[in-house]
Amino acid sequence: MKKSDEQMARQAKEAFDSSVDRLDAATLSRLNRSRHAALAEASRPREAWLRWIPATGIAAAMVLAVMMLQGPEQFDAMHAPANDLEILLGEESIDMLEDLEFYSWLDSEELQDDGNLG
Amino acid sequence: MTTDALDFTVSCTLKPTGARTLQKERQLDEFLADVERRALRIAEIAVRDREEALDLVQDAMIKLVRSYSERGSDEWRPLFYRILQNGVRDWHRRQAVRNRVMVWFQKAKNDDSDYDVIAAAPDPDGRTPDQELQNSEAMQDMELAVHALPTRQREAFMLRTFEGLDVAGTATAMGCSEGSVKTHYSRAIHTLRDKLGEHWQ
Repeated sequence: MKKSDEQMARQAKEAFDSSVDRLDAATLSRLNRSRHAALAEASRPREAWLRWIPATGIAAAMVLAVMMLQGPEQFDAMHAPANDLEILLGEESIDMLEDLEFYSWLDSEELQDDGNLG
Repeated sequence: MTTDALDFTVSCTLKPTGARTLQKERQLDEFLADVERRALRIAEIAVRDREEALDLVQDAMIKLVRSYSERGSDEWRPLFYRILQNGVRDWHRRQAVRNRVMVWFQKAKNDDSDYDVIAAAPDPDGRTPDQELQNSEAMQDMELAVHALPTRQREAFMLRTFEGLDVAGTATAMGCSEGSVKTHYSRAIHTLRDKLGEHWQ
């Protein structure tokens, strides 16, 4: 006989809580340090220029679109992807793109939350 | 931690700004201390790697404090888990890209076949009474089953069952409707019951 959904959820919660209680001291210490690092980081003001990154990205995309519409005389579409690839393959650029993704996501979150929660 | 000890810690580590009061920072500290261990285990189940989970939890803490510290404390829990779930999804996306690149260069390490469930299980820290062992084994079975769920079902199940968020809070954390939460949760728990039922009698 199968357990009910409620029994399954309760048993899963008990097993989960037990695993939380068994976390070792080293892990708890890491969590404690992470928490204090987060709170200390929060005291640093966010760089103002970072707020412009999403807008800068959109503007760059628009400029690229306009250049492509100008035709092959003004924009060498065969060479541009190769140059982009060199840029994208750099480790720093990948990190930057990951940050861009986050800031773009965070800004969209704030806009959405302003509508839903604010 | 006593109130005095907490006051000392906060006064030593935090520099209140005009926009954020000491009381707010103390609330944030208490909130993060309350949520951090469960958040770690939830992230660990999702990514199957404690070090990665620790990094994800720290990132979520930083992003919550940076972006949402001025929100009401009752909003922090779903927002924190929303950030954490996004971090987990991004982590899986990066892993997928990394794996594709590795396969392309024929350097795949075949991680799945090398994965050792026992070695990766939470360390019981030397405590080996029968109940501890049974709990640990039960958690391993359940952890693997939860990890195998589709992403949205896994998120709904862990947020509702492990973290105890209500349907509205889970919907905020997942960025979807309450109806979707109910659907994902229902499917998840039925799948788990089918997989684990005979072992969880």
